[in-house]
Amino acid sequence: MSFSGPILLTLQLAGVTMVLLLLIGMPIAWWLAHTKSRLRPIVEAVTALPLVLPPTVLGFYLLILMSPNTPIGAFWVRLTGEQLTFSFSGLVVASLFYSLPFAVQPMQAAFQGVGRGMMEAAATLGASRWDQFRSVVLPLSRRGILAAAVLSFAHTVGEFGVVLMVGGNIPDRTRVISIEIYSAVETLDYQTAHILSGGLLVFSFVVLVLVYLLNQRGLRAGV
Amino acid sequence: MSELLTFDLAVRKPGFKLEAAAEVPLSGITALSGPSGSGKTTLLRALAGLEPSATGRINFAGENWSRMRPARRGVGYVFQDAKLFPHLNVAQNLAYGAIRRQASEELVEAVVRALDLRPLLARSPETLSGGETRRVALGRALASAPRILLMDEPLTGLDRARKLDLMPYIAHAVADFGVPAIYVTHSAAEISFLADRTLFIEDGQLTNWSGAAPRVVGRVVNAAPGQVNLEVGRFTVWVNGQGNVGELWAVPLGQDYLLSTQDPGHSTAALTLPGVVADADPGSGLCQMDIEGQRLALAWPRVDGRVPERGTPVWLSLPRLSARPIQAEDGPESR
Repeated sequence: MSFSGPILLTLQLAGVTMVLLLLIGMPIAWWLAHTKSRLRPIVEAVTALPLVLPPTVLGFYLLILMSPNTPIGAFWVRLTGEQLTFSFSGLVVASLFYSLPFAVQPMQAAFQGVGRGMMEAAATLGASRWDQFRSVVLPLSRRGILAAAVLSFAHTVGEFGVVLMVGGNIPDRTRVISIEIYSAVETLDYQTAHILSGGLLVFSFVVLVLVYLLNQRGLRAGV
Repeated sequence: MSELLTFDLAVRKPGFKLEAAAEVPLSGITALSGPSGSGKTTLLRALAGLEPSATGRINFAGENWSRMRPARRGVGYVFQDAKLFPHLNVAQNLAYGAIRRQASEELVEAVVRALDLRPLLARSPETLSGGETRRVALGRALASAPRILLMDEPLTGLDRARKLDLMPYIAHAVADFGVPAIYVTHSAAEISFLADRTLFIEDGQLTNWSGAAPRVVGRVVNAAPGQVNLEVGRFTVWVNGQGNVGELWAVPLGQDYLLSTQDPGHSTAALTLPGVVADADPGSGLCQMDIEGQRLALAWPRVDGRVPERGTPVWLSLPRLSARPIQAEDGPESR
C-alpha cells in the first residue's frame, strides 16, 4: 500500500495554493487594511464567504463556472488544451477561493497593526512608498504573513468538499489525502484511513500550536 | 538675511479647519505654540507633506513643495511618540534615513557624538528609556541630513529633569548642524530656552509672532567637560553645557530676573550685569536698556508706577543661569 501519491499531490496543491494566496491575498489585505471605500464591507464579505459557506456549495458554483461550456472554462481549454474541472489546475483555483480568508485576514490584521505612523516616519526619512512597504511594513507584519502562509497551507491540506466537487477522485490528478481517506473508509480499508487521518490530526495540531505560538510572541513583542 | 519657508495652507477635517499663512526664517528655532487642538501638529504635518487633505502652497527657499512627496522634501520629522522602528536597533534606525538621503558617514558619526548615542547603538528601541528614545528620534532625523527639522512636542511626557537634560541637545543640534527647526510646543519653559522666535496659533489660525524671549548673548572663551565659560561684555561666567571656544551662546533671562537702579553689590545672583537706560516709555513701562553692549527691551517692574529716565544706570541680576548655543546670525545686531 502506498500513500505517497495522495500525500505528494496534497503537499503540491497546498504549496502552490499557499504561494499564490500570499501573492494575491497581500494586495487585497493591504487594500482592506487602509481603504475608506464604501465597497470595503462587500469585499470583506466576499473574501470571508468561504468561512461560512458549505464547501459543497462553493464547489458546486466553481464546478459550473469552470466547466468547458462557460467562457472561463472554454478559455482555459483553448489556452492549455485541457479542461479546468477534474484537473490539478482546477483544484488550485478552487483552493484559492476556499482558503482565501485564511490568507487575507491574518495579513489584514498585521497591516492594520503597523499603522500609518511608521510609514510616515519612513517617508520623512526619504523612503518611497514601495520602500516603506518593503523595509518597514513587511518586517513588522512578518508574523501575520507567516500565520497566513501556515493557515492557508494547512487549510488547503484539509479541504474535502470543494475538492470532491471540482476535482472528483482521480488517482495522481485530484485524489488528495482527504479524498483518499474517504475512499478507504468506503472500501472498509480502515488501516489506511487510520494512518492518513492520524497523520492529518497530528499535522493540524502542530500547525495550530505554531500559529498560537506566533501570536503569543507577536503580542509580547507588541507588533 | 536668511532664506524663508513660505506657506499658505488650508486643511479641512471633520469639525476642524486650519488656515495658515506665514513666512518663517530658515534659521534657528521657530517655536509654534498654542493650546491643545489649535492645529499645531496639523500645520507641522502639512509642511512635511503628511496631511493628504492639505491644499495651498509651500515654498522652501525658492523650491515649490506644494505637490512634492514627503520623501523628497528633505525634512527631518521628530514625532511626538518618536516612532522608532521596533524591528531595527538604534544604529539601524540612525542609518535608515542616512542611507536613503546619502548622508555622509561623518555626519552620522557627528550626530552620534553630539547626542551621546554611542552606548545605545546596539540596543533595541524597546529597551530605551523615555529620554533615550527622544534622543535617538532626534538623532535619526538629523542623520538623514535634513534641510529643516520639524519637531512635534519632542519632550512631551518627560519629567522636568529629563526635559532640562534634553533641551541643550536640541539647541546643540540646531546650532551645530546648522539646520533650522520648527518646534511645536506649549511649554513656556521650552520656548524661553529654545526659541529664537515664536509663532502663535489658535483655533486653526496663526495669530501673532513674537521674537526670542529676552536673553543676553555671550561668546565661549573657555570650555571644560560639561561647562563653558561665557564672556558677556566685560564679565565672564561658567554655565553648564558642552561647547567650543568661539561659539555664541544665549542666556535666556527666564521669568525671575531682577532689575534695579542700585548696584546690588555682592548679591546671591548667578550673574549681575550693569547697564544704562537708553529709552523708556512710561505708558507701557517698557525700557530699552544697553547692557554690556547689548540692547534689551524689558518691562520695568511697576512698583511705584515710575520708570527710570533715559541715562539712568541699571543692574540686571539673574538668580539662575542656563544657556544654549545659537547660530551666529541669531546673535544680537550689535555684534
